[in-house]
Amino acid sequence: MESLKIAFFCWESMYAERVGGLANAATNLAETLVKQEHDVHFYTRGMMPDQTIKGVHYHYCQPAGNNIVEYCDAMSRAMVDHFKKDDATDQFDFLHFHDWHVVQALHQLKDRNTILTFHSTEYGRNGNQAGDWWEFKEVSGKEWYGGLIAKRVTAVSATLKNEVMQLYNVPQEKCDVIPNGVVPREYRTNIDPGEVKQAYGIHPYAPMILFIGRLVYQKGPDLFIEAIRKVCQYRWDAKVIVAGDGGMRELLRERARDLPVNFVGYIPDSEYIRLLNAADIVVIPSRNEPFGLVLLEAWSAEKCVVACNVGGLSENIDAFVNGVKVEVNPESLAWGINTMIDEPWNAGALGKRGRRKVDRIFLWGPIVKGLTETYARSVS
Amino acid sequence: MPPVCIGFEVHQPYRLNRQFESVPKIKKRDLFDHYFDGLNKEILERVAEKCYNPATKIILEKLDNGFSCAFSLSGILIEQLEKWGKDTLSLFEQVARHKNTEIIGQTYYHSIASCFHDKTEFREQIRLHSDLMYDRFKVRPTIFENTEFTFNNDVAATVKDMDFSGIFTEGVDRVLGWRSPNHLYTCQGIPVMLRNTKLSDDIAFRFANRTWDMYPLTADTYAKWIASSHGDVINVFLDFETFGEHFWKDTGIFDFLHSLPDELARRGVESILPSECVSRFSPVGEINVSETISWADLEKDTSAWMGNDRQRAAFHAVQIAQPYAIDKPIWRYLQTSDHFYYMASKYGTCGEVHTYFSHHDADDAFKTYMKVLADYEARNIRVMKNRKSAKTLRTLAPEQAFHFAGPTGYIGHSAYNLDQFEELLYIVPKDSIQFHIERGDFSRWITNILEDPRLAESMAGLKERHDLVTVIKERRELLWSHLK
Repeated sequence: MESLKIAFFCWESMYAERVGGLANAATNLAETLVKQEHDVHFYTRGMMPDQTIKGVHYHYCQPAGNNIVEYCDAMSRAMVDHFKKDDATDQFDFLHFHDWHVVQALHQLKDRNTILTFHSTEYGRNGNQAGDWWEFKEVSGKEWYGGLIAKRVTAVSATLKNEVMQLYNVPQEKCDVIPNGVVPREYRTNIDPGEVKQAYGIHPYAPMILFIGRLVYQKGPDLFIEAIRKVCQYRWDAKVIVAGDGGMRELLRERARDLPVNFVGYIPDSEYIRLLNAADIVVIPSRNEPFGLVLLEAWSAEKCVVACNVGGLSENIDAFVNGVKVEVNPESLAWGINTMIDEPWNAGALGKRGRRKVDRIFLWGPIVKGLTETYARSVS
Repeated sequence: MPPVCIGFEVHQPYRLNRQFESVPKIKKRDLFDHYFDGLNKEILERVAEKCYNPATKIILEKLDNGFSCAFSLSGILIEQLEKWGKDTLSLFEQVARHKNTEIIGQTYYHSIASCFHDKTEFREQIRLHSDLMYDRFKVRPTIFENTEFTFNNDVAATVKDMDFSGIFTEGVDRVLGWRSPNHLYTCQGIPVMLRNTKLSDDIAFRFANRTWDMYPLTADTYAKWIASSHGDVINVFLDFETFGEHFWKDTGIFDFLHSLPDELARRGVESILPSECVSRFSPVGEINVSETISWADLEKDTSAWMGNDRQRAAFHAVQIAQPYAIDKPIWRYLQTSDHFYYMASKYGTCGEVHTYFSHHDADDAFKTYMKVLADYEARNIRVMKNRKSAKTLRTLAPEQAFHFAGPTGYIGHSAYNLDQFEELLYIVPKDSIQFHIERGDFSRWITNILEDPRLAESMAGLKERHDLVTVIKERRELLWSHLK
């Protein structure tokens, strides 16, 4: 394929304003496109002068607005102004937009070869229900309009693709699945699990179960705590670490008062890597998960995953091949965890096979190959 | 009925000294014994007694009766036999000079040099091996097999350029697709013979497996399988240690070896040599191998030697050690594939195979390797022209490496030289970088260990990882240019 000139529009990036997982995904896509010999300009927010990192040209703007919607409109206008300058000398081949924040820019450039990627929807972020306040309606409206005018739409999982198709009437043939990727080296490191366990007061040979994520209803930490109650009746030596913070923290603490659960709160990435490599089982008890990045991170570290059979998790885990899928209730979760504690050799094998799936499907290189095919389709 | 082309790979590495510790004052002639283990002699003598002597004697007898087969002997095996196994060497010599055998080429050091970016070293080792075969056996190999059948388009092109008339590799399913390995193919213009994985592994892996439904395998049954195969030629290639070492005498492996040529002959299966195979058959198609394949493990790729970060770190370190290699042979001994094999972290049956072949555990293997390499480089720096740059770019022993940490402890990433340090700056989490910057660890390491205060100075005040990387990259490239 010949070298393409591509513009990215995204409200966050890894080296400037960074909010959540979107920054990571968009930056990795851009950097991998550059590795595959394409020319990428990345329009985003930031307080610094424009710069080039790993071959990606970053163009920053500093918008202002009274509310999130006005702010994003201002940002989109600033991005388009900057884009037009770069476009005048040498025209861009493809314009790639990420999430609703930049739909105003998509509107201004709608006659070009445009791609809109959904990393989530407002409906999903709101716990799979509609809201009646104005921001909800405004953001959902932008998502609908973006899906309507973009030449092609991508979603990070088949679940999210279906959601977008149903919510916003995007036709099936216009929509592709481009999954999230991972850099496994960042997560699989050479750590002695015993040393980390001891730092948390856990015996080196005791099974350690890890939950990582925001402590909110969507992520199901309450289901997890109830499941642990049953696990402890079965295995007295099981120890649990809950990493992450959120509105449910106090409630969960109260419920877990008599259980061997250590709430470590928000942890920096370095600590996450230590815990992840030391854990015996990683549990993802989410009620809803458009993709579930923790799955890829746990697999990268060759860890066995016990996860609820929902969304992206359901799609990507092959039951008892590379993970355990359970129903969304404490009994089923406890059963899954107990099975894996009892069979550490099997848990190890499941984790290894997860890593193999990552190396096969979820590296950025092959994912970006799929993305360029989507670009090509946006022309026809 | 297709003929069969049988070949044996014979090799023993110089294993590293497990108790190695750097000693400042040591005479150059004692260095070898300091780096490599006394165990090597013991193992060689054991393998010679259990495998090489009895198996070679059987083969010699069969060669006289018209059986043909090929041998690929590594240079370092010959070196060891010269020192510790003269009788065995003379047996191999009889085999090598027999009209029914063919000696095929490999790298002298049974090395991973074919994976280096620059193929000069790879070529040099092929040449050394060819010279050795000529000195010892008065033959120059015309067919080539790379270390454990490691192969890709570049290897094929290099070997063709060196005027070999054919090359062996593994018949890997994902390369062949629907095609059969029992034919001759070409790659980059050189004829390629593909190992029949199933029939080879029937002997090499399954022979003594009691849970296998074909157990016990007899020469009669095996010859029948060969006779009923389709295609132009069946290539069976084995580790010679299969006979007596992987499978001990009491499994009946020698009886199998003894009867196989007769059983093949009884069924009219002809045994031919690789060069006959290349001249007799014409290639049926072309294979394109952009990834690197090999005969190792289930993956059939380079993951046995370069599958984990430790292995990759060690491989990278030995590759960039070239400017330090004033004393070339030791650098080349360190390229032997076995060292990397010992560092593997695999599970399941492949993992068992790795453990079986290793004399120490994976983490120790890695640490010993880095210690030896660091010591070797440090010794050579003393006689290098540009000592300052060499010092900054050298590979370090584990206790001097930079171990990345977070506030609570080590996070499992370590940099053994400046090249790796730069690479890891993009891999380790941001908060770990901040942690080290606040404590001044980077500048302390670069000033005290790498001895480059200028680099430390230009990094002062930088907080973002890409700014750090830019500065280091510039400096690193400048320093490397001094060593070229």
